[in-house]
Amino acid sequence: MAAITGNRPENERAPAPAELVRWHARRRWARAGLVYTVMLAFAVLFLGPLLLAFVSSLRVDPLSYPPTLNPPQLWPRNWVAAANLGAAGADDAWFGGFAPGASVSFEVTYLVADGNEFESPEATIPRRRPAGLGATRRIVYAADHASLSAPVLVESRPADPEAGDAGSAGTLLTYRLEVRYPNDGPTVAKLPLDVTAVAGMRYESSTLSASRLERRGRVASFDNIVPGALGYVFHNYRRVFDEVRAPGSEERLFLLWFRNTFVFAFWRIVVTLAIASLAGYALARLRFAGKELIFVLVLFAQMIPDQLLFISNYLVLRDGIWGLSRLWGQATLLNSMTGLVFVTALNAAGVFIMKQFFETIPREVEEAAMIDGASQWGRFWRVVLPMGRPALGALTILTFQGAWNDFFWPLIVLTSPETQKTLPVGLLSFRNTYGGAVGDWGLILSGAVLSAVPVIVLFVVFQRYFLEGVAVGGTKG
Amino acid sequence: MKARRAEAVAAYAFLTPFLALLAVFFVYAAGRAAYLSFTDYDLFSWPPNFVGFGNYSDLLQDTVFLTALRNTVLFSLVVTATQTAGALVMASVLNSKIRGISFFRASYYIPAIASSVVITLIFMWLFQRRGTVNFILGQVAAHLPHILLLVVLAALLQGAQVAWERARGLPAGWFDPALLVVSLLMALAGTVLADFLGLIRAAAAANVDISWFQTSRAVPDGFPFWLQAPLPLVTIMMMNVFTTIPTFMLMYLAALQDVPRSQYEAASLDGANPFQQLRWITVPAVQPVTFLVVTLSLIGTLKVFDQVAILGDAAPFRSRVTLAYYVYDRMFPGGQAPEVGFAAASAMFLALLTLLVVLLQRRFLRAEGA
Repeated sequence: MAAITGNRPENERAPAPAELVRWHARRRWARAGLVYTVMLAFAVLFLGPLLLAFVSSLRVDPLSYPPTLNPPQLWPRNWVAAANLGAAGADDAWFGGFAPGASVSFEVTYLVADGNEFESPEATIPRRRPAGLGATRRIVYAADHASLSAPVLVESRPADPEAGDAGSAGTLLTYRLEVRYPNDGPTVAKLPLDVTAVAGMRYESSTLSASRLERRGRVASFDNIVPGALGYVFHNYRRVFDEVRAPGSEERLFLLWFRNTFVFAFWRIVVTLAIASLAGYALARLRFAGKELIFVLVLFAQMIPDQLLFISNYLVLRDGIWGLSRLWGQATLLNSMTGLVFVTALNAAGVFIMKQFFETIPREVEEAAMIDGASQWGRFWRVVLPMGRPALGALTILTFQGAWNDFFWPLIVLTSPETQKTLPVGLLSFRNTYGGAVGDWGLILSGAVLSAVPVIVLFVVFQRYFLEGVAVGGTKG
Repeated sequence: MKARRAEAVAAYAFLTPFLALLAVFFVYAAGRAAYLSFTDYDLFSWPPNFVGFGNYSDLLQDTVFLTALRNTVLFSLVVTATQTAGALVMASVLNSKIRGISFFRASYYIPAIASSVVITLIFMWLFQRRGTVNFILGQVAAHLPHILLLVVLAALLQGAQVAWERARGLPAGWFDPALLVVSLLMALAGTVLADFLGLIRAAAAANVDISWFQTSRAVPDGFPFWLQAPLPLVTIMMMNVFTTIPTFMLMYLAALQDVPRSQYEAASLDGANPFQQLRWITVPAVQPVTFLVVTLSLIGTLKVFDQVAILGDAAPFRSRVTLAYYVYDRMFPGGQAPEVGFAAASAMFLALLTLLVVLLQRRFLRAEGA
């Protein structure tokens, strides 16, 4: 401490005590202000990328340049328009659609610089086929059922830069077109639209913001002009469910992955709680030979990397645990949930947590039960285990998180078919299918955000368990 | 005596399910991996041929393995150093008793609870060539004059104010918080004014076009092989620091609660600046936590696998391969025949490296007398 004394400013003219008190109080306020600012900066640093990813997952193309925190999908104007269009298309303001009898009217406004030629734009209803995992599915095209009227000029006014119209002087031309569903037929989910104008006309605005502009703003392309409010804002999320289907059965893969992950987490929790509480109790309370050896193994099992163990474990599962699985009719445990639960059932950290907790319960509690003549099992089941509820709760939550996020073992065990996978390995298929050079990052980001929702909800509700776990010594699964 | 026997029997009965799993999926698995590392097993023809130390000596000749080893060790050291130092600095900045800290604590923890797949996918998107990271770099490059002016102005103002206060006989330190707030606000105003008057001007936003993944470039340029980290690996490092630093920061924060505030106040009255306080009060006080953090971090980073696998063909193999991924790749090498013996030998390498870290930690703990 000697190093830091001595540079106190020496001055004969000492300030009055009252002034000094005020001076120090000011410092405390300033320090608090700075700390809040820094905390806010850290929050931006840690939550910013996730928030940006969420907002961008709403965009038609999350890679469109430049990045923004305020995409058209967050504009209330577009929510209202999307709801109205959805109601016009299929009487569904939330999810939209294009149903028989519908009549949708849509307006597009162009800016024509003074002196430039202009004429009515051309509108078409394109047939767009989703690429990737859903490419084999049969699709109903809106183009087969819709009748489209030619765009009509409904308004023409001079552009007024003062009033918020972008760009230089010129004329704003608004065209209206009608799309109708005259005959009978199925309800179509999407009604895409391309509107092409001549050179010299620049897209300015439309009833609903264009999905993308091509050829210097001459072509305004809309993925769906009858989306409904939710269908518009959560466009990519809807695609995650609709477009990604299992080959053959047409089941929604993402739902299957969600279900599989829940099933996996459920069984892993059941197995972990049972095994860890039994073993933790024995290690904490009972005397027997070989206890030290087992405890050393528990410590080692927490450190040795899975990459050493999976070689043999893969072979063991492949051979159905030396044929044991034939007893219940499975020749191999690869590509099966049973195999995955087996290979992840060894949870040394769980045993360690339960042992630590049981050691905190006073022995007298058990001794009272012993005098009453309770058996060893009775003492465990009726006396100690009920007292272990907080630890069991914490272990449940940590195990759920671990199972939900587990990547390595599902990657080894669940290789095919796609319908078998859990979310993390399913997302890897997403990335392999859509994350190429061009990339459909809308699907990937939406899938990632959706898959993170359950653990984030769990965290918000049971924060205490997570944060206490960290403070105690970091048992990260 | 009989009661003792009964207790031991009950103990083994309670432990049976755990011991069965431990025996099959841990003890047997580790032993079998050790055995297979001396054979040429290929997943199909059993029994395999015994090849002695052949796999090990072949590994040391294999440039891919050596690259994986280099990548792993570099990754582990750089990430551990960065996140330990970063977590400590962040924790000591935040170490004050103020309202609302629990909200912030919780928000910092969100990256740590999301899965590695989610975080990696988000980072892959951020680091695309026309992605957010390159965009931000471009903006920073364009506004470099503003940033420089802000920093210089703030430093000058702070120096002037501190000198003035000291002349008045007040014990102001160089990082006095009240003066710092004023300096920063005035510097900000000055920068905005300079921009408004046209004294400084943002350059046309430079088009930063760094290819973070599709590249075999290694940084720093011109360094020897063993000290160069491939660019894709650097992004994985950033990812890892991003997700782990909050956890370690919270561990430090918990430890800092036990350091008496009076120590800092005394040091502050003696004129110690924040860096001296960090060096002479905080660092010694949290040494046991530092130990734990370093060990956890080394063990965790040595087996980095998920991010490498998810990156997949987005980056060249050698620019991302780590030991853990090398093992997996020998075991399931796509089109070629699996080389289980090779995989096992490299896995043994990885396990020994981990054990070495643990043994060193034990050694240090004993030396500390803890």
